[in-house]
Amino acid sequence: MNSTASASGPPAPSAGAAGPPSAPSTPSPDSPASSGSPGSRSSRAARRGGARVRTHRAHSPWLFLLPGLLITLAFNIYPFVATVWKAFTDARTLTPGSFVGLDNFQEMLADEQFWIGLRNSFLYVAAVVPCTVVLPLLLALLVHKNLPGIAFFRSAFYTPVVASVVVVGLIWVWMLDDRGLVNAVIKTLGFDTVPFLSDRWLILLSAMLVTVWKGLGYYMIIYMAALGNVPRELHEAASVDGAGPVRRFLSVTVPGVRNTMVLVGALSSVAAFRVFSEVFLMAGPDGGPAGEDTTLVMLIQRTGTGLSGRVGYASAISLVMFVITMVLLLAVFAAERRDKK
Amino acid sequence: MTSTAPSAAPGNGSAPGEGTDPRRPAAPAPRRRRRVRDLRNEDGSRMSRGSVAVRYVLLALVFLLCVGPFLWQLSTSLKSPGENVYSDPPKLLPEHPTLDNYQKVGEIIPVWDYALNSLKVALANVVSNVVGASMAGYALARLKFRGRKYAALVFLVAMLVPAESIMIAQLTTMRALDLHNTLTAVVLPGCVAALNVLLLRNAFRNIPEEIEEAAIVDGAGVWQRYFRIGLPAVKGTLAVVAIFAFMGAWDDFLWPLIVLTDDSNYTLTIGLNFLHGTFSNNQRLIAAGTMIAVVPLIVLFACLQKYFFRGVGEGAVKG
Amino acid sequence: MSPAQLSPSAGRLLRPASVATIALGTALSLTALTGCSSGSGGGSSDASGEVKGKITFQTWNLRAEYKDYFNGLIADFEKKYPGTKVRWIDKPADRYAETLSADAASENLPDVVNVSPDKAYPLAKAGALMNLSKDETAAKAEKQYMPEAWKGNEMPGLDGVYGFPWYLNTGPLFYNKRLFEKAGLDGDKPPRTYEELFSYGEKLAKKKVASLGTAPAIEDFGRYGVELMNKDATEFTYNNAKGVELLKKYKKLYEQGGLDGQAMSAGPEKAGEKFEQEKIAMNAGGALDLTSFKENQPQLYKNIGLTDAPNNNGHPNMYVMSLGISQTSENKSTAVAFARFVTNKKNQESFAHKVAVFPSTKGSLDEPYWTEGGRSPEDRVRVSSAKLLKKAVNYTPVVMTEEMKTVLKKEVSKCFLGQKSPKQALDDAVAESNKLLEQV
Repeated sequence: MNSTASASGPPAPSAGAAGPPSAPSTPSPDSPASSGSPGSRSSRAARRGGARVRTHRAHSPWLFLLPGLLITLAFNIYPFVATVWKAFTDARTLTPGSFVGLDNFQEMLADEQFWIGLRNSFLYVAAVVPCTVVLPLLLALLVHKNLPGIAFFRSAFYTPVVASVVVVGLIWVWMLDDRGLVNAVIKTLGFDTVPFLSDRWLILLSAMLVTVWKGLGYYMIIYMAALGNVPRELHEAASVDGAGPVRRFLSVTVPGVRNTMVLVGALSSVAAFRVFSEVFLMAGPDGGPAGEDTTLVMLIQRTGTGLSGRVGYASAISLVMFVITMVLLLAVFAAERRDKK
Repeated sequence: MTSTAPSAAPGNGSAPGEGTDPRRPAAPAPRRRRRVRDLRNEDGSRMSRGSVAVRYVLLALVFLLCVGPFLWQLSTSLKSPGENVYSDPPKLLPEHPTLDNYQKVGEIIPVWDYALNSLKVALANVVSNVVGASMAGYALARLKFRGRKYAALVFLVAMLVPAESIMIAQLTTMRALDLHNTLTAVVLPGCVAALNVLLLRNAFRNIPEEIEEAAIVDGAGVWQRYFRIGLPAVKGTLAVVAIFAFMGAWDDFLWPLIVLTDDSNYTLTIGLNFLHGTFSNNQRLIAAGTMIAVVPLIVLFACLQKYFFRGVGEGAVKG
Repeated sequence: MSPAQLSPSAGRLLRPASVATIALGTALSLTALTGCSSGSGGGSSDASGEVKGKITFQTWNLRAEYKDYFNGLIADFEKKYPGTKVRWIDKPADRYAETLSADAASENLPDVVNVSPDKAYPLAKAGALMNLSKDETAAKAEKQYMPEAWKGNEMPGLDGVYGFPWYLNTGPLFYNKRLFEKAGLDGDKPPRTYEELFSYGEKLAKKKVASLGTAPAIEDFGRYGVELMNKDATEFTYNNAKGVELLKKYKKLYEQGGLDGQAMSAGPEKAGEKFEQEKIAMNAGGALDLTSFKENQPQLYKNIGLTDAPNNNGHPNMYVMSLGISQTSENKSTAVAFARFVTNKKNQESFAHKVAVFPSTKGSLDEPYWTEGGRSPEDRVRVSSAKLLKKAVNYTPVVMTEEMKTVLKKEVSKCFLGQKSPKQALDDAVAESNKLLEQV
């Protein structure tokens, strides 16, 4: 349904094709800066100075960029700038509104639902990210080896990624129902029915479960790519030193894919912070009992859409969320850089 | 499902062993054949029978976890009207399997028309993303020019914009361009996804400098280098972008719902939503509907998975 | 790079002169211009012109089951007025409000559009719907309908009527006889008043059967006899003694286990599902659901009892559907003619024969179909509902936005969870809703 933020997918644009399975190629925020750093500029100057052939005409790069830039600026950046402006107005879905300064942000501070949303979004990051960093790695190790039939399993593990969040949500809502399959199993084992979909914490937990479930195959792929690059010699050497599988995992595999783990962490924290569909489907449009399961994007969706949607206020929340996302990402990459040194 | 079936391609064997049978491998044959006959651990030691068995047990467990829910949905979609789908305890298999639910979905909504619309949108999305993102990615990775970092920044920021908050602004734009209620409008906002641009930029970056320099010396222009050196080198990543472009467009819901008003233009996801309305609340139909939405993707993926995984391997440069 | 640097660099984007930026500049200024042109204006001035030309007609999730009826209707209209062409659009149940607002915001609302009064209000307020009372041709239709139904489309604070009344529904109460009997209740004696509802609930709860699948909504307060708003519809008042009394009773029922576990987060759709699963003993629904039960849950259908939703004041709730005319319609005369055609006595009655809803046209409910009827449960309920409908009220205040409904739901949950007393919860809900109301 909502193409919108599924916590398991990448932070993708709406009609977007997206997904960085080969994403070890990091869309890292520092790359634009580094590509134009003084170092490269001087080397370029040096080349130009030499007897080098001119590699391209001045307008060529812009011709290459034309379709991409045009689309992105017109359908992503421009609407976003318009949204940022709306954050300082009292616009509604059907009325343009007028400038109100920081009123929306003041209202946010006093809005209990905003704080609940913020709390839940951070809880989501805290719970989901460790799982999506570790479990898919283990899974990747399992399917990395070319056992007979492994291609079948790899594809099968990828099925949850292929299905849309809405389909996945519908399936799990039914699985986790009081009379669903999961509870049937729990009852056969002699336990009480677990109210997955009515207790406010269990609702959130169920949604997290679905997010992790749907993300497993996705991040598995990223790790598979990285595992191929861990030199075999390292394993052999460790083995000669008498390291068992667990030790080898910790001392060879983990360091070998560390950068990928950072990347997966970054991708999944941004996605988890922007979770919408899973919680929306599990908790209902109002965010569960007393709205306790509302996440930030749910709040944006709820206040900003519909016939009397408060677009101004919702835009203000979007803006705050955008800033937090940026900070989150920068923090992850800053941590990575510090570690490297 | 037998967990050890060596050549079982997903999608009911509709792609019989195509590249999935390790004993009849495709192109990069020699390397794979060796590995299959002689299973080895990471450190090169031979794998014991026991550890192979443990691996298959684990694989089977994860398989159940990942695919089980879909099978459960499939089972529901095959249950006949007389059966209680809410029975306690749930019945795993339909007592009287029937395809009536699928037929009924077809009666309620023009499934084929909608599927065709979805296909058009998805294919357009694939083409535009492959072309647009590879061009932009190539320029960002291989061409040096003033303003390059700002161009890259545009894509980066676009990637972080929360899609749900800009939808109305996007709609106003479409309306201004008089594209409202067209399939073109469905495709446009995501037709060169920022993420794909960045992905391809990184893939292009990994082409060794020397190759391109040699081409420059030979007098190859920038377009020739893009077509002859650039594109072939990132085929795998292109496959990945293509598959994701297809899935993204096929699964999208909210944007098409808002931008399309005429139901002859509806895509499958919106069409199927009619099943879930106030006038018919039938779990079997919903299950059949979800299957109709999911199965083509699973089949598509099963057919292309060979290229997909190869692309993943290629995209992996430095972990 | 800090987030603060983002905007300046975004500004610098436009510096390098390139084909891309020029093309983009043109595109953006284009959108900026058209973006500003919203507001009044556009569309034909009134409906007095000739009935001719093309219009669009939008319904709300009716195609799936009633395709033939509407195609026939449109063919009849096009035959009656040669030279007209009606394009029919149907939207799914989900997110209807969102598609309406997107259409209205981009001045693309269909000429004739299916709305309920609470959806018509924001549209009318934004000037997207035509004021029927101000249009001579449209206003003439008034005597075609039951006066209550016509008045149901009056919008507080906006002088006039903004929709042609279409079908009505009372929302009967379904109950599960098997579960009733399990709790020692008579399957042929459903609850009539809220007092009975709560005492039945207690008995059912003793047998571990939940009675209801949703927390009380604004209609429940209305049916209980609570004064929901002041006369001018400028302030909510449901936190009065009567409202608190109702919430106290619901809370007791909740504590006894009389509400389904998901009641606090569920909407009507979920509750319907729970009823189908035989997890709740009673559920208010549309008469349409009965067909669905018959088809989907035959074993449940046998046990279903049907009655009117309990009320304390003899005025049941009435759900109203109407057809609004877009203010920006280029062809208001045809749009009005078509809306009147769809909602005329003959067509409303034939639709109501098919769908188990009620016509809003004058005199229709005196027809034998709604006064005599056979013996089947459907027939009996139809007759009794039709009788009640004459006294029915649309309780949901049109000024109550979705957000305000959510506020009520949230505070009711807090009361159930023991975080607030019933009085406190309703006071807070009213205060927050009034604040939102002021902002509108």
